Amino acid sequence: MRNDRLKIVFVLCLAFVSTGGQHLESKVAQLLQDKAEDIKCFVEGKDLTCFWEEEEERNNLHDQYTFTYSYENKKKMACVVSSLSLLASNKTVFFCKLPKTPFFTTLVVQVYRDAQMLYSRSLNAENFLFLDPPRNLTVTNSGKEGQLNVSWLPPPLKYMDDSLIYEVRYAMEGSNMGKVEVIKVSTMLVLLGLQSDTRYKVWVRVKPDGVAYKGYWSAWTEPVFGVTPPGDMDPLIVVLVLFIGLILCLLSLTVILSHHKFLLKKLWPDIPTPEHKFPGLFTVYKGDFKEWMSQNNGSIWGRSVHVYAEELPSPLEVLSEVSLTGHATSQREERKPVEEEEEKESERSDSRLTDRWREPPHAHWLMEQLRALQDNPESLSQSSLLQSHDTYVTLNQGDNERQDDDVFEETVPLQTLFTTAGTSSLSTSRSDLGSLQQSSGSGRLSSQSSFEYPNHTWPPKGPGYAYMAVADSGVSMDYSPMSSSRIAELGKHRMYTNDYKNDIFPHKWPLSGQHIKSGSGSCTGTVW
Amino acid sequence: MGSVAERSKALDLGSSLSGGVGLVSVLMVFVWLGENQVSPLRPICDLRVLDHFVREARDSEVIMRGCRGGCGVMKSYFVPLTSVDFAVWEHTDVHGQAVEVQTGLSLLDQALNNAMKTVSNSPLASALENNISNIHSLGQILHSLDLQQARSTVLPDDSVPASAQTQEVSSLPELLQVQSSFLRGKVRLLLSAAPACQRQNS
Repeated sequence: MRNDRLKIVFVLCLAFVSTGGQHLESKVAQLLQDKAEDIKCFVEGKDLTCFWEEEEERNNLHDQYTFTYSYENKKKMACVVSSLSLLASNKTVFFCKLPKTPFFTTLVVQVYRDAQMLYSRSLNAENFLFLDPPRNLTVTNSGKEGQLNVSWLPPPLKYMDDSLIYEVRYAMEGSNMGKVEVIKVSTMLVLLGLQSDTRYKVWVRVKPDGVAYKGYWSAWTEPVFGVTPPGDMDPLIVVLVLFIGLILCLLSLTVILSHHKFLLKKLWPDIPTPEHKFPGLFTVYKGDFKEWMSQNNGSIWGRSVHVYAEELPSPLEVLSEVSLTGHATSQREERKPVEEEEEKESERSDSRLTDRWREPPHAHWLMEQLRALQDNPESLSQSSLLQSHDTYVTLNQGDNERQDDDVFEETVPLQTLFTTAGTSSLSTSRSDLGSLQQSSGSGRLSSQSSFEYPNHTWPPKGPGYAYMAVADSGVSMDYSPMSSSRIAELGKHRMYTNDYKNDIFPHKWPLSGQHIKSGSGSCTGTVW
Repeated sequence: MGSVAERSKALDLGSSLSGGVGLVSVLMVFVWLGENQVSPLRPICDLRVLDHFVREARDSEVIMRGCRGGCGVMKSYFVPLTSVDFAVWEHTDVHGQAVEVQTGLSLLDQALNNAMKTVSNSPLASALENNISNIHSLGQILHSLDLQQARSTVLPDDSVPASAQTQEVSSLPELLQVQSSFLRGKVRLLLSAAPACQRQNS
């Protein structure tokens, strides 16, 4: 009886030792790879185990080794050295398991061989926890597509349940590429984003979280398999989608049919024809325009065409007459300013020019004069017209200016013009100018003032344009550009076409077709 | 006449007495109410608070390692023993554990204060200040757990008798290591096993 009991106890002990040994062996094997330390230590359960590899081919007598440990300045304590043969790597290790491991204090472990210190290490036991893997790993189908529920139990520990961290690894069956999820404290996890109807392998391992306790990752658990539910299209959803699609189609069809004319017009527009402008041209007269015209002479459309066929009359105010045969006079509308101008000219005219001007002109002579003027721009500058202290509006087209390199004083800022002039003269030449606006070079009237050009030059511009110095007595004028033939007729006048508004004398231009442009004061001038 | 005067006197006395008694009784009622109304402090059982303090103690160690200049002088400090033998610890009763922890915390507090006087490096000084305030908070937490430990007063001066529960360290890095170990070990074990918290969990 006692023998039987002893046998049972012995077998049980063996079983315990072997399992413990298995655990130890696996852990030792795992830690052997760590080359950082000569003595490798870990805590299993509540006890610290330190091991070291056998050095060389020795007699394998573990008696020669002495293992001591101490802490908190206490005296050294000895530990019994044991040996372990690793079957996998065919190595032998010596180890010692401390009987009473003090935690949270610095331990000093030393290995002596024949009274000679071999290894020494100082460590805190709570930093080298090597836990067993989690238990009871289960993988279940949650019922939802692409999801699996994983749960496990922590290794049997005291005081550490809330300071553990887990790692879950999962991979499709047959594949080695797995994903890893880290989870703290909690012992269950839902895997998301998996393929439907697939078999997955799941592993779990555990480690202390590193705040109070630190350690190594435990070994992976044995893989557990789980199958994700098959993905299916909910029939209700399919039906609904089809139904909605059908309704949308019908709606769009209805819309298209109801507005098909409009859509057709937008997508396939009619080529516009001018038929509506010519009532009856194509229908009655079969395209015969002349006939149609003759029939429709009284229409408004016909009249307007008629009007534009003529040349617009262009009013022109002549300031000085060159005693032409009435061409200038016929066009002159204001006598008074012209006379005024004449008087002024006679006062301060240069004899040369005025003489020239007073000669009875004819076209040929005039052209010669023009040519002479072109050749001698300086002479022109001394002309009476220019030297007169009347206010002149010298206008020129902006384009023309660029042709000439000479600085037309119009382009000079107004201030310089004013400064060159004498102060007194500003006041004298004040005629009753109204809202005369002064151009500032680009053909625009910019300010309202009377001013004078004492020594301005009037460089000749290209042919085709003429300038006219205008002493404006407040009359708004509108000149149209003149052709060269007209210039020849009018003589050497510089003609300005300017549009500027003058509120005072709006009635002076009772012309049809003339437009008194207001506000802008843009003057377009033509110059010789 | 005399009887009237006597009677009036008696009445006055009686009325004053009754007034006094009434007042006293009202006060008693208030005191009783007050006593009953005062509920015990809610126990602070979340160990994450302690984990936070542990991390900050570790930060001090890191700062100490990287400190160059003004990092304190070589000085001896009396600090608690930090080693925990689980077998022994489990057999110690909670109150004993609480006393040990309380004593240890006050020792650490004193030692850290002494150390701070010699530190001029500002990051280290602020870390130490942090640790000191954490230790005070831990005292409050222990109080909330109502472990009925004797409230140990902070020892007034440096002349601490070397008791069985103390050890001597000679430098600030060692002191900080002791603080770390103490918090992670004994303090944490006590807090995690405190009866007030167990009652909550179960």
